[in-house]
Amino acid sequence: MTATGRLNWLGMILPLALVLGLELWLRTAGIVTDILAPPSQVIVALIGGLLNGTILAATLKTLTGAFGGLLIGGSLGMLLGIVFAVVPVIDRAMEVTVEALRPIPSVALLPVALMVFGFGYGMEFAIVGKSCFFLMLILTRSAVRGVEPRLREVARALRLSRAATTWKIILPASLPRLFVAFRLAASLSLVISITIEIAVNPQGLGYAIMTAQQALRPDLMLAYFVWIGLVGLCLNAGLLLAQRTLFGRAALTEEAR
Amino acid sequence: MKHLAFALTGGLMLALSTPALAQKIRVGCTSSADCGTAMIAVDQGIFEKHGLDVEMTRIALNSNIPPALLSNSLEIGGPTSSVFLQAVDGGLDLVAVAGASVMHEATNQGTVAVIRDGVTIDSAKDFVGKKVGVPGFGAYIHILFNRYLMAGGVDPAQVNMVETSFPSMPDVIRTGAVDAVASGGPTVQRILSSGTGHLGPRFVAELGGDAPIIFYAATRQWAEANPEAVAKFQQAIAEAAALAASDREVVIASVAKFTEQNPDLVRATPPSKYVAELTTDGLGWWLELMQKQGLLQGSVDPGKLIVAAP
Repeated sequence: MTATGRLNWLGMILPLALVLGLELWLRTAGIVTDILAPPSQVIVALIGGLLNGTILAATLKTLTGAFGGLLIGGSLGMLLGIVFAVVPVIDRAMEVTVEALRPIPSVALLPVALMVFGFGYGMEFAIVGKSCFFLMLILTRSAVRGVEPRLREVARALRLSRAATTWKIILPASLPRLFVAFRLAASLSLVISITIEIAVNPQGLGYAIMTAQQALRPDLMLAYFVWIGLVGLCLNAGLLLAQRTLFGRAALTEEAR
Repeated sequence: MKHLAFALTGGLMLALSTPALAQKIRVGCTSSADCGTAMIAVDQGIFEKHGLDVEMTRIALNSNIPPALLSNSLEIGGPTSSVFLQAVDGGLDLVAVAGASVMHEATNQGTVAVIRDGVTIDSAKDFVGKKVGVPGFGAYIHILFNRYLMAGGVDPAQVNMVETSFPSMPDVIRTGAVDAVASGGPTVQRILSSGTGHLGPRFVAELGGDAPIIFYAATRQWAEANPEAVAKFQQAIAEAAALAASDREVVIASVAKFTEQNPDLVRATPPSKYVAELTTDGLGWWLELMQKQGLLQGSVDPGKLIVAAP
């Protein structure tokens, strides 16, 4: 889809040709593979999985894990980000701690999370939450700091307290940027959630991919890939729509599209 | 209102009079036929007959089983001998409660090196300098492949081994990314049928072995707290093993159901041998092998790792 909502036929030529090429190659070359399947078989597996409800059940679990972590980690990160930006002393005091913990790859914490939380949502909430927490913290801090200085001057002229300045001036002014941060965190949460399921957690879409792969069902495995792509697209489209509705075109920077 | 009160009281009395439901035992196994006895015991109602409420979970990686046991995500798991011993060596207090699958002629013969066409490998020495795909470092096939190399006077370090999952083996052989793969199960037939590789050394069968491949394990804490459940589990597994030995179709149906593999694919795979009893000799065999390969750091006493059957 283009920005104007029309289908970009020109842009569709290459992906369609690739799909057709893959279909022809796999049908005619006679190769034995357990990681590729003709696109037609993938579509059949996708429809089958959707009809028997397994794909939707797995999607629900993944989204619960992803959004649970996003809500917990993201909201805490946002709150702390605001505090760090408004009270520079706290920011300086926490800088070493934040910079020491932030770079630890979330997935590297999986063995520890498995020991502590066991299988289930707890592990996903913790790991996804950790990723979203730091992302929201950093982006919120920079969004709040980036508020037009003249707005702060207005707050001073009005003799607003720090709390009132934050609530009445800084938050409304930084909301569009906060929403962009939220969108980034939402995509990240989905990626991390599926990674956890592929590696450890026996539930959701990632687990379904592993199961299909180990059952030597590449058609079903690829169907899950296609489905995850569609879920990601819908998620992004939904969030973009929310962004446009909430903040108008002012919030829509070039990168946001 | 009176009716409601009666209904509530009646319901409460009914609930109190019903015997408490058996504690749910979650058993975690990887997607292979090795835990076949537990799968059969679930499907054929053997666990239920022994008063056990068992639920099976597929675990993506075998090495995830020990931490899953420790975090109480599973009560019983099916680790490979190597994963179990490495976990115990690393300080996790696990015990083996019942045997699952053991090495035997059919699976030993079916675990082979498949060589890419155009490459000639007939003996351990021919592997020197070659790139070989193994399904997991420190895992069952890798350790047995190392044993074969060492028995043939080859240092495993002279072979360039890369981790290759089973499903990707036909592709890495076809594309020439590796010279050979150490493989087993349905993958061997898949590669042979594609006409891109041929059978190489039968690296397990050449040296033989009858040690356990996978067995059922639990934390010592859980096993000691639930001796009755452990005893019932052992009895159920022994019964399932007897059934599996007499009726292969039951095994195929249960394995296909649990792994979601096509039943024909399961049928084409060499059948597993299920033995419910565990011996210290079996574990000791692995211990010695792994110690020789430098895979264990401390000393593990196999005598303390098995919960004896009643």
